[in-house]
Amino acid sequence: MNDVGESDPKLNDLPDRESEMVQGAADLRALCRQLSGVRAEEELHKTQAELAHVTRVTTVGELTASIAHELNQPLGAIVTNGYACLRLLSRENPDIEEARQAVECMIADSLRASEVIKRIRRLLKKSTAGKSSHNINNIVHEVLGLTAGELRRNGINVSTRLSNSLPYVLVDRVQIQQVVLNLILNSKEAMTGARWQPRELTIETGRTETDITVRITDTGVGISPEDRERVFEPFFTSKEGGLGLGLSISRTIINAHGGKLWIEPGPDERGTIAQFTLPVSESRNERRNRSSDRHRS
Amino acid sequence: MNAETGVQIVIVVDDDVSMRNAISRLLNAVGLNVRTFASASEFLQSKLPEVPGCVVLDVKLPDLSGIELQREMVERGIHIPIVFITGHGDIPTSVQAMKAGAVEFLTKPFREEDLLDAVRSGIERDRHGRKERAELAELRRGLSQLTQREREVMSLVVAGLLNKQIALRLGASEKTIKIHRSHVMQKMGASSLAELVRMSQKLGIDRQS
Repeated sequence: MNDVGESDPKLNDLPDRESEMVQGAADLRALCRQLSGVRAEEELHKTQAELAHVTRVTTVGELTASIAHELNQPLGAIVTNGYACLRLLSRENPDIEEARQAVECMIADSLRASEVIKRIRRLLKKSTAGKSSHNINNIVHEVLGLTAGELRRNGINVSTRLSNSLPYVLVDRVQIQQVVLNLILNSKEAMTGARWQPRELTIETGRTETDITVRITDTGVGISPEDRERVFEPFFTSKEGGLGLGLSISRTIINAHGGKLWIEPGPDERGTIAQFTLPVSESRNERRNRSSDRHRS
Repeated sequence: MNAETGVQIVIVVDDDVSMRNAISRLLNAVGLNVRTFASASEFLQSKLPEVPGCVVLDVKLPDLSGIELQREMVERGIHIPIVFITGHGDIPTSVQAMKAGAVEFLTKPFREEDLLDAVRSGIERDRHGRKERAELAELRRGLSQLTQREREVMSLVVAGLLNKQIALRLGASEKTIKIHRSHVMQKMGASSLAELVRMSQKLGIDRQS
């Protein structure tokens, strides 16, 4: 940069050099700020991801009883069919046909059990793979598969109205699943008070010009107007033993995807509608994928 | 191979179709008759044959829970013993079920012998219960045929009083009491005093002394 301790003739330039130095220092400070800003953002992102994982584990933890049931059901059937099969084969006149059917049932139930495990593993994966293109309906289906048993056992009727011509969204699949899971479980919670009726859960997907929309409507106890924003504050909870992070994490996730998450009262001021948007991001390539997807289904 | 004797029925109520069919297949394989239902209401609406039986009941059903169904059955006077099965056993539920008279509480997946033992003892319990109830109904029918006077004589007889004492107490002749007494024995179908005493105990008749 500038030479220091020059001879007199150049002393005239001193004020200029000084201003250059001041400018340089300012640039340096700005750079430092920027660098630490980037680092802070990275840190923040990491912390958010970890927090999201923790709440995901907690949420799945709430489903433990249901998951155990979901697994013990096929396991019970497999074992029982196994016993039946042995008996059928060790008869004096073995009933081969019935035994064959028993074995076929055993295979089907084993596959069913492994599907449950796969779903949980996918949801509990720690490092989220980052964003990629997904059809929101598949994400919704996956979560419904995981919660169907829990909902059914709580006497909740589920109806879905999923628009089948939706563009892809660029999302972190696991995180969006977490949001959908949170919203479904909140709705379940709102409808399982003693003798509460009706118990209807509706999941809709649709689109506006710029966004994909997901609406989850329940006929539960609803949320009072003053709590409608407070529910998004961290550690706000109405559940016993709840962490109170579900909705705040969900909103953070949706915001990080450039979308919005909010809550409205249901039709006739009964129940709750939770709704979120995700911006559409569709390349030509993805459109092609989507149309081939449609062919397949 | 067919170890099961006599006609009986096992009713399987489970909303999970694989589990329902597997249990049904196993019970069929040991020679038991099986009827299956997917829900509590399906089961409650059905007409069941009047033979000794046992219900294999999943704790968690979509309409009524197994425990609620157990209560409902008691209220409707359905006495078939229950073997509970559950995908996820919790202690309070099993305690409640057993207190309310369940035969057994099994957690899926269960061992074959545990299920078969429970089912067989349930059927046995029902066979016994049916016999008891039939006997009691017969006794009640006999009792309803007695006149007021004969009832009085019966309660004094089973209290251990002699004809003479009864005659004195009721202000009748010993001969009349003798006639009443033989009518009682005849209508109740008792062949001895000891049997009449046993019958009156079953009927819960207070001894009047």
